[in-house]
Amino acid sequence: MKNNKYFAALFFFFLFVVFPSNAQTGTVVGLVTDGELNEPMAFANVQIKGTSKGASTDFEGKYAIEVEEGTYTLVFSFVGYTSSEISGVVVKAGQETDVSVTLQAANVLDDVVVRATARENTEAAILNVQKKSITLLDGLSSQSIKKIGASDIANAVKNVPGVSVQGGKYVYVRGLGDRYTKSILNGMDIPGLDPDRNTIQMDIFPTNIIDNVIVVKSAAAEYPADFTGGVVDIVTKDFPTKAEYSISVGAGFNPDMHFNDNYLDYDGSNTDFLGFDNDDRDRPIHRYQPIPSIASTTNVLTTLTDSFQKQLRATTTTSNPDFSIGFTAGNQYDVGDNKLGYQVSMSYRNETRFYENRIDDNWSKNQQDREETQLAPTRRSFGDESSNNVLLNSLAGLTFKTDFSKFKLNFLHIQNGESTAGLYRQTIFEAEAGGGAAPLTKDALLYTQRSITNGLLSGKHSFSEESDWSLEWKFSPTLTTVYDKDHRVTPLGIEDGTLILNPNAIGTPIRIWRNLNEVSWAGKADIDKKYEFASRPAKLKFGGAYTYKFRDFSIDDYTFVATGNQAVPRNDPNLLLATDNIWTPETDSGTYLAFGDIFDPVNAYEGEQRIAAAYISNEFNLSEKLKSVLGLRVEQFESFYSGRNQSREILEDELIIDEFDFFPSANLIYALNDQSNLRASYSRTTARPSFKEASIAQIYDPITDRTFIGNAFGNEFFDAIQPSYMNNFDLRYEFFGEGGQMFAISGFYKDFTDPIEVVFFPSASQQLSVANLGNAEVIGGEIEFRQSLGFLAPGLEKFRLNANVSVIDSKLEMSDVEFNLRTAAIRGNETVDRERELQGQSPYLINTGLDYANDDLGLQTGLFYNVQGKTLEVVGTGIIPDVFTQPFHSLNFTLNKKFGKDQRSAINLKVSNILGDERESFYESFEAEDQIFRLFDPGISFSLGYSLRF
Amino acid sequence: MKKLLLSALAISFLFTSCIQDDDTPIIIEVGGGVGPIVEDTVDKTGAITSSETWTNDKIYVLNQKVVVEAGVTLTIQEGTIIKGSPGTGSLASALIVARGATINAAGTATRPIIFTSTQDNIAVGQTAGTNLDENDRGLWGGVLILGNAPSSFKGDVDEVQIEGIPADDTFGLYGGDQADDNSGVFQYVSIRHGGALIGEGNEINGLTLGGVGTGTIIDNVEVVANVDDGIEFFGGTVNATNLFVWACGDDALDIDQAYSGTIDNAMVVLGEASDHGLEIDGPEGTTPGAFTLRNVTLVGNDVSTKGEYADFRSRATGTVENVYAYGFPDGKDVELDNNGVSQNYLDGLLTFTAWEIVGFDNSIFVEKVGCLQNCDDEDESNDIDEDKIILDPSFTERAANWTTMVEQGSQTVGADTSKFAWTYSNATAGLGF
Repeated sequence: MKNNKYFAALFFFFLFVVFPSNAQTGTVVGLVTDGELNEPMAFANVQIKGTSKGASTDFEGKYAIEVEEGTYTLVFSFVGYTSSEISGVVVKAGQETDVSVTLQAANVLDDVVVRATARENTEAAILNVQKKSITLLDGLSSQSIKKIGASDIANAVKNVPGVSVQGGKYVYVRGLGDRYTKSILNGMDIPGLDPDRNTIQMDIFPTNIIDNVIVVKSAAAEYPADFTGGVVDIVTKDFPTKAEYSISVGAGFNPDMHFNDNYLDYDGSNTDFLGFDNDDRDRPIHRYQPIPSIASTTNVLTTLTDSFQKQLRATTTTSNPDFSIGFTAGNQYDVGDNKLGYQVSMSYRNETRFYENRIDDNWSKNQQDREETQLAPTRRSFGDESSNNVLLNSLAGLTFKTDFSKFKLNFLHIQNGESTAGLYRQTIFEAEAGGGAAPLTKDALLYTQRSITNGLLSGKHSFSEESDWSLEWKFSPTLTTVYDKDHRVTPLGIEDGTLILNPNAIGTPIRIWRNLNEVSWAGKADIDKKYEFASRPAKLKFGGAYTYKFRDFSIDDYTFVATGNQAVPRNDPNLLLATDNIWTPETDSGTYLAFGDIFDPVNAYEGEQRIAAAYISNEFNLSEKLKSVLGLRVEQFESFYSGRNQSREILEDELIIDEFDFFPSANLIYALNDQSNLRASYSRTTARPSFKEASIAQIYDPITDRTFIGNAFGNEFFDAIQPSYMNNFDLRYEFFGEGGQMFAISGFYKDFTDPIEVVFFPSASQQLSVANLGNAEVIGGEIEFRQSLGFLAPGLEKFRLNANVSVIDSKLEMSDVEFNLRTAAIRGNETVDRERELQGQSPYLINTGLDYANDDLGLQTGLFYNVQGKTLEVVGTGIIPDVFTQPFHSLNFTLNKKFGKDQRSAINLKVSNILGDERESFYESFEAEDQIFRLFDPGISFSLGYSLRF
Repeated sequence: MKKLLLSALAISFLFTSCIQDDDTPIIIEVGGGVGPIVEDTVDKTGAITSSETWTNDKIYVLNQKVVVEAGVTLTIQEGTIIKGSPGTGSLASALIVARGATINAAGTATRPIIFTSTQDNIAVGQTAGTNLDENDRGLWGGVLILGNAPSSFKGDVDEVQIEGIPADDTFGLYGGDQADDNSGVFQYVSIRHGGALIGEGNEINGLTLGGVGTGTIIDNVEVVANVDDGIEFFGGTVNATNLFVWACGDDALDIDQAYSGTIDNAMVVLGEASDHGLEIDGPEGTTPGAFTLRNVTLVGNDVSTKGEYADFRSRATGTVENVYAYGFPDGKDVELDNNGVSQNYLDGLLTFTAWEIVGFDNSIFVEKVGCLQNCDDEDESNDIDEDKIILDPSFTERAANWTTMVEQGSQTVGADTSKFAWTYSNATAGLGF
């Protein structure tokens, strides 16, 4: 399996070397959009004024015309629509010039022509999709991504109004966490490197293979029902209109993290730099190997113990800076009358992180004293943590286009290896208020290997030039793996300066292997039919989708104990498993594998999810000004579980969730005038528990010592986890000004039935679970604008201010269970309110940016600020207080400068976290000082990249 | 056709990647395996839902957790041998007497009921095997008895899940409001070689008593070589007499959650891996409760790095009287862990009477303080600790009131060791009781 990507690389490298670019001519390309239905306009006319050159758009609204170098005027026309004339189109030899327009239906049959310059048109085009779309969406075209200077989608997408990016990877829309946001690739579900998240991490897609990114904030029947905040659709390019290649290199430097002599490292395998382990970290003994006790008289126990890798403590070394390298290639060929194109991209990234003094503490309310409001620690941890993250990413696409059909075959493989080494100093408090303190050191050497392999085969068909029907189908299998390979966690007690194994007070040295394999098969078909409704264009859409997911998950772990007083030889954890210190029948002393520690079936499961969906929607314009889409989607969701429950009963394909639901949606847009719209929408959506959440596997986090326990079957406190349902209402006024300026104000209301929330297990401060704790309401307002500063003073028109501010109020009415737990644990004069905020919903979100763009200089630069309000991260349960993620003030600077012949070279500079803010989450409780749940310092980082197109 | 082709491709990568080869061989231990094969054994797994009796002509094997459910009585005849199977996590073997269930386990001095490991070669009719010793810990789980008696829990909830059972299990609840709750009889029982790991830092005690009420009879119980505590009292009101704990990996006798019964005549012998002889905590919630611990003998171990006499923590509330201790090396102490428990001492809620120590005087009694601030960085010099509160005279000075340094054998207090003549420990270690 691992070899596939090398073959792919070889194949495309071959293509890349064989076809160099040339030509004295340039190409004008673009997309013509039907302003009535906001969709590509097929078979529209494109003419180069004053020449005989011209073309008509294909069934996808696209065109390409090859012309000599020069400056031209283009005329776009279609029967019944207002023509558009774009002047000042500059075509350079060997280059592509994008001219995309939207044509509006003509009211009267006179000869109205809309005239604009090429530049005006380009800027307007960015907002045009948004302006005319009936669903509430925001887009990022490849042009605007370039403008932002972002190298990956994570950096680009946070410039979309209402969107923020968590941890540089995961998308939040309107301050709702990734449970309520969904990411799809080319319209199909794709699991992330963490398959329990609904979203894929955005930083793995280089922007130069992206055609556009669409963020949909109000549901429509053709989208899956399991998103509430937004869906992010990443659309990759079909193929370029001519041969196009690029290479890029980059380096990143963080003064806190790189060239640091305290960096922790351990001996991994010699393929770690490629993102996978070459089997050095494989489990050395069989899953069902019986482990004898020390009462045994043979050497079996000795041999088994000796077969584990021996390094348990990291060594210090000097850290390397980040670096990356990537290339893309694409071309198209004529095959008879048809076109065949390919697009390929490979990238390699190697990132090093070093967090000094990372803190992960556990606190609770004072246990005995009802008057004492201050919190008391139960476990504290601080220490240094190093990690090296390798990401190898390859994407290849082949597109075949005929006059009426397009076939697309895409292949994506992402390989990721993350090696982590940490050394922590911890204290466990067995009694209240700093009492019963047991000090310890904990070494952690971890390796996680992840991969996603995804294929997509799709087809799009129009049947003839006159046909009103079109069909699109997609079929996409995905394989996801996550292997935790030989996590080595070694907690050791400190007794008068001596390190000892102390299984009772502080835990046992443990080795963990976790295997997750997930396969998903997804297919869908969409059919459109255009017709006339009240003599206006209308469109009927219907279709169906089916997704089948299967997951296999298991954990193997092994613990070590020792004879005698259990002191660590010479106080060196690396000697614990030294051959000389392993128990033998002869010496009857030393370290050995704990007896009977074999595979525990409770932590293994097979999950299966089936989602069948069908929808119908109708888009029609009630009047010239009022457009509407009404839709209905039905989904059947089934989740099956095979494994054992805590009572050790074997469950085989047990149907644990079975829901059949209707998801109606309505979107209305009323054009107040040419420049402003009023929108209203309603939709019903859902959020479903992930496989992990609907299991009972216990997932121990070696770094934080917190254990996540799934809630498939309910327990003493909480009922079994169930899907949540949301009703979403949106109202929005928007105004579109000159040159891409805009202003919008929206209000939204969402009611949540049974939201899924992350909660502390009552009275276990280190265990987390998920539960449906009550019903919630969310009400919010959002203001966004993009404003050129030209109105302040002439000469400032190249500066533009973007801002998006959301303010959200969420209220959850808690169930009796939570209310009673909280009431039983009140301290001082505390009172318990029946309402609290919704977990994962931030109360405000600010995205602002000031950017400067000078196309003549090829210079784009900007300063961007993003912050998200204090958010309930983990719901407290009485004695354990709530945890809130604190605002992270992210200020970033980017600069992108093109230079060289035809501006083919570019450098980009980025400075992240200029304010040097820290990532913090705090326990907060009535009249108590806030205490740390998690704290680490990402530092300020600088990155510099160079890219060359040819 | 294209679609078909891709399906084939996809299926092929599915099968090549999805199945993880486990090509490491299983090593079978030849000749090293122990345990009786010839005995008439009865396997027990899961819930016991109707009353039954285990008889002394058979060996009962606990596979994973065996739970006596509410309303059910499990009777174990004198001299019956019960063996726990190996396994950790959810596979750990244990006998759990749930709330509302009854155990009727009345052994005798000559025919005690024995809980041990399947590794133990002990056979029907015997009181000891020959292949295991006090260093063989963690070979199976333990015995848990749960009741409805009052306890003091974190967050002042009424009931909680017992330690040693995963938090999301359903059969481990204990606690309630019936002080006279009756879980049955547990007499002349020897529990050996248990303490299997059930989660990171979470093992099963030899005998766990959670919220057990005064209606229950517990006497003449021995725990040997358990990984975790010997006997741990989580709240409850039950009285217990004649307890013997030898060579456990953690504390010998452990009291938590405002246990409010009386423990009379107990002996603790520490092993090389042992922690405290006595570990006494107070209430976890705001409900109070005071224990009485009297006539106790503590025997130290000079190899153990931990091996302290006793630790009183978190507002421990009760009385400790007539304690005799010997065999402890220099530097071991009886400590008040922080201000909470020290204040209880000052308030007369924690009292000490008649301690006789071999080789040491009142200097072994110390007041310690908790750390308040800056405790979690490497620099200990900036720690802000609590101030000591037992002053003029100090706790150590006051301890002279109840402490006498004695010669071994000349003590006037401590456990009546003749009551432990029946134990496995007495026979194996040649204690001469």
